[in-house]
Amino acid sequence: MVQVSVKPESFEMVFYDVAVIGEVVAEVAERLGVDEAITLDIDENSPLGRSKILSYDPIGLWVDGGALENTQRPRNFGQARSRDTIGRLLLRILDRRSGRFDDAPTDDELDLSQFAAWDVHNVGRLERIGLGGQRKRRLYQFRNRHGFTDLADAAFEELWGSSELSWAEIERISVGCRT
Amino acid sequence: MRKIFPAEELARDSRFIRQTNEQRMGDPRGARIAGGNTSGNLAKLTPDLPNGPDRARALMHGIFVGEIQALEGAGRTCWDFELGDEVPLALKLDMARQCWDEARHCEISVSLAEHMGTELGEYAENALLYEAACNPDPVLRLTGVNRALEGLAIDVFNTMKEFGNMAGDPVLEFCEDWMLADEVTHVKMGSDWLRRLTENDKDRLDKALEFQKVVDRLFSFNGFRGEDDDSPIQLTRRFRELAGFSDEEIDEIADMSRDARFEATA
Repeated sequence: MVQVSVKPESFEMVFYDVAVIGEVVAEVAERLGVDEAITLDIDENSPLGRSKILSYDPIGLWVDGGALENTQRPRNFGQARSRDTIGRLLLRILDRRSGRFDDAPTDDELDLSQFAAWDVHNVGRLERIGLGGQRKRRLYQFRNRHGFTDLADAAFEELWGSSELSWAEIERISVGCRT
Repeated sequence: MRKIFPAEELARDSRFIRQTNEQRMGDPRGARIAGGNTSGNLAKLTPDLPNGPDRARALMHGIFVGEIQALEGAGRTCWDFELGDEVPLALKLDMARQCWDEARHCEISVSLAEHMGTELGEYAENALLYEAACNPDPVLRLTGVNRALEGLAIDVFNTMKEFGNMAGDPVLEFCEDWMLADEVTHVKMGSDWLRRLTENDKDRLDKALEFQKVVDRLFSFNGFRGEDDDSPIQLTRRFRELAGFSDEEIDEIADMSRDARFEATA
């Protein structure tokens, strides 16, 4: 079982349970082949859905409370949304460790189009192993960053359906369809 | 069939989860409204925001459930009041026409949800719009719903139309534009019936306008809807003028929003 440390240890603003969060993070990590300790910082004051990687080694993640929330039941924990959030972050870590992303900009340097393209590739892979999906939501985000065109939709399909692209390939597909 | 149908008993299938006003206003992180949150830094809803597309999805879902409730409310107004004694036939005919518009808006909203990748029921539903449509006085009901809430709809639809335009999304832009045209008509109906039904009743007119302010205030916390550049939902003067609002009334809504913002940041 992957060791997961969640901060804070209890919540005042939302009805989250540290043990449940830890189980979901560990489950996602194991499905992705991550077997090292993970630290997860949660800002429970924020209902927004931001997330970022604080540290690649050891793995340190940070999320808004809203990134783990059930949108149907505000202030309650949402397993599907959490799998999506944690899964995207862990896949980004695995990608950067693979050697295929050595030429990728740092997270702070990625623009919205690059983030959207990488996320499509990540969520497509997550869906294929049974961890989330929301394909149409990702398509809408991708179109907002790349244009509402057939060219952009074809690029989306390539990113979504590919197994292990390199950063150069993601960037080529993303740049090639922007309007 | 009973009159004044309670909001708690509105028919919804298992996809829809209701969030009460107490739950929404009692969220210590700030009430969620129009695809955003009232506690954090405000920002106009545009595609350039990192969470812009997701906020637009949430707002569109709020519009969708609002359309369902507007249909239910206008339908109730056709039924709840006696012809002649309480309302004229022409008012019921206007409400029947509004039902047709709202039903079409529901269909458009479902299609837009599909277009934007949103599941029906993906977000919690709040029934404030329908609750305003339960007022036992038809004048107060039309003022609260058609002037305050449909007035808000004008601002929301215009904001979404601009979002679609900026994103290069013609589907969203044109759908919002078509619905916006209907909303202006609905608000105009409210303005016209308010004037006609209170022509010789100053006390009733005052009560109706006060009820409208109460409803408007509920949607003005933290300056969420206003005229400042960073107001997430922009107050739309031109369309409100077309819908029968005076300059003084629009100024008052703008002031209400500024006051709410000042209170929130004080």
